[in-house]
Amino acid sequence: MVANIGSILSGRRSLLKGAAVVGGLQVASPFIIKARGETPVKLGMVDPITGSLSALAVTEVEGAKWTVEQINKTGGILGRPVELLIEDSANDTGTGVQKTHKLIERDNVDAIIGDVNSGIAYAMMGVTKEKGILHIVPGGHTDPITGTDCAWNTFRTCNTTAMDTSAITGELVKRFGKKWFFITPDYAYGKTLQSNFVKKLQALGGEFQGDMLPIATSDFSATLIKAKAYKPDVLLNNMGGSAQINCMKQFLQFGMGKEMALGGALFEIESVRSVPKEAQAGWWCMEWYWNTPGVPAVKTFVDAISPVIGKKPTARHWMAYVSIHAVRLAAEKAKSLKGIDMARALADLELPPEVSLMPGKIRYRAGDHQLMSNIHIGQMHPSEGDPDNLFTIAATVTGEEAAGSVESTGCKMVYPA
Amino acid sequence: MNALLRHKYATTAIIWALLLTVPAWLPVFGGYTALAGRVLVFGLAAMSFNLLLGFTGIMSFGHAAYFGLGAYGCGLFLKYVSASTPLAMLAGTLLGGIAGTLFGLLLVRRRGVYFAMVTIAFGQVCFYIAYKWDDFTGGYDGLRGFARAALDFGAFKIDIANNSTAFYFFILAVFGGAAVLQALLLKSPFGRSMLAIRENERRARFLGLPIEKHIWLSFSISCFFTALAGSLYALLNNFADPLGLNYIMSGNIVMITVMGGMRAFWGPLIGAVLFVALQDYVSSMTTNWMFFVGLTFVCVVLFFPRGLMGMFQKGART
Repeated sequence: MVANIGSILSGRRSLLKGAAVVGGLQVASPFIIKARGETPVKLGMVDPITGSLSALAVTEVEGAKWTVEQINKTGGILGRPVELLIEDSANDTGTGVQKTHKLIERDNVDAIIGDVNSGIAYAMMGVTKEKGILHIVPGGHTDPITGTDCAWNTFRTCNTTAMDTSAITGELVKRFGKKWFFITPDYAYGKTLQSNFVKKLQALGGEFQGDMLPIATSDFSATLIKAKAYKPDVLLNNMGGSAQINCMKQFLQFGMGKEMALGGALFEIESVRSVPKEAQAGWWCMEWYWNTPGVPAVKTFVDAISPVIGKKPTARHWMAYVSIHAVRLAAEKAKSLKGIDMARALADLELPPEVSLMPGKIRYRAGDHQLMSNIHIGQMHPSEGDPDNLFTIAATVTGEEAAGSVESTGCKMVYPA
Repeated sequence: MNALLRHKYATTAIIWALLLTVPAWLPVFGGYTALAGRVLVFGLAAMSFNLLLGFTGIMSFGHAAYFGLGAYGCGLFLKYVSASTPLAMLAGTLLGGIAGTLFGLLLVRRRGVYFAMVTIAFGQVCFYIAYKWDDFTGGYDGLRGFARAALDFGAFKIDIANNSTAFYFFILAVFGGAAVLQALLLKSPFGRSMLAIRENERRARFLGLPIEKHIWLSFSISCFFTALAGSLYALLNNFADPLGLNYIMSGNIVMITVMGGMRAFWGPLIGAVLFVALQDYVSSMTTNWMFFVGLTFVCVVLFFPRGLMGMFQKGART
């Protein structure tokens, strides 16, 4: 018997089995610890921390963490501390849905925030609606989220593509001309964006050509050759994240900067920081900018967050900041963390200026749950003075003006009985 | 009953006992029932793939095609035809299975790297059809607008739509049925001939076995079961994703099978447990979670060449 035990203990296979069990325990133990205590208000955040949109997602997460810290310093939500649980959707819809299930079923979160990728945000809506959880989409722009597929539990902080295109099309036509070439990602966001641009452009008598490319495209040479041959007045780069950066770099390498103007709906600061100075150009929408004149609350916010993140905040920090405060405001108005109560409380709730960080009356419109935020139109340029001074605001369009009526979005908001 | 057989039965009993009691013990380890459902779905896909790789000795790198077709078939049926879960699953299984059967006719004479490459190509064809046929399949964003419906037996209903525990047991029942069928298949004379082809194709041919026909049948059966797993995946997520047809998903199925043990009947299920747990838990701790999944795969291949299940198999001792 002793010999048997000895042989078992000394066997290579047994050693490996033991290692596997010990390894397994290392993985398992933190989850037992996690399950302790239900007192904090739990917010679940799903974002593509890995993948082609990671730069944007990392900023959103950074903004969310900072906001939660600030809220906890001032008493939390309903007097309870706030816990932020972050999950990586890996820019994959299946994983995003799985992580949403995880946050709701395992972690019992009180609200869900996410995703940067419109397609994933869209799919997550199915889960949050089924579970009756308040869902704030901070940065997924595709229209149906607060349009044809709007849901009672879903609110969106960033603009719709229709709002962005409506705000900038006239400016681009006025300055450069009506012959456009689109480079657009082939998923929900890109399609609705291009179709909105086309609608506006055609209404102004314009013409266009374009290519729909996979979301993570890295080689744009064939499309850029096509664009060069078309000789457009404006090249619209609608790609996002690393794909947009690669497109801008190749646009420069092809020497196209001198042949046509450059513009589009969004060229986010995270992407602008990653391109050569020559590519820090073009006319774009900016959903929020740290150097917005005439709003004291913006300066207070920028002064508070900048030392922590080591740079000026971007629109993505703002989206996360507003989204998390929206949950707080909704919970405090409803005096409840139930999805239905918070949703009813948040509809048409006017955000205070220290939360909206914008001039005017900013609210999540009751008819479609879309935030009626202002949109800045302006020019991107290499840094001037401050290294983060990369954008000059030329005009500001109000959210109401850019969004049009609720009826035009196709949303029919229905709350459960 | 010899020791090997006793060991086999004990393993099966332990696995079933664990699967049947998942809702009781999984939350203790920080799990949730949707995660267990995911394990079963990927486990079934990998076990189905293993009929081909582990038991016939043929490598396919395109099984995501049938998995994804199963998901799309199920989703499209629910969305456009009828809100019947069993019929939708049947539609998904038939779509993926028949596509695999027809495609199998074209590749039974290919072997090795050529077989694998053609299977990848077919998978990518399916992926691009789903990706580009936007109006019908939802394109890159996937197919939405459908949801699994409760099972209606006339006298009573089982609410798999809203009750996650009921849905887990539904997946487990389908998984169990498929596993029993696969086990019976492997015990049948046809199953024995699959093993003969795996061990020595030339000898099997000289013994008079119709090799091409058997490989085609094995491929076809494997595709039907994989499509069944795909239809469950659509029901689990209430959407179908073009990435479910992509070569990356095929790679995941191969990885799950190899990690679990391709010579063991339950190996792929164990591989699915490891893969899904790593993906779910480690990604909550670090953004470099893919590094750990890859590292685990490399370690398993280097130190447990017969997979995790192979390590616990007495017969595997050499």
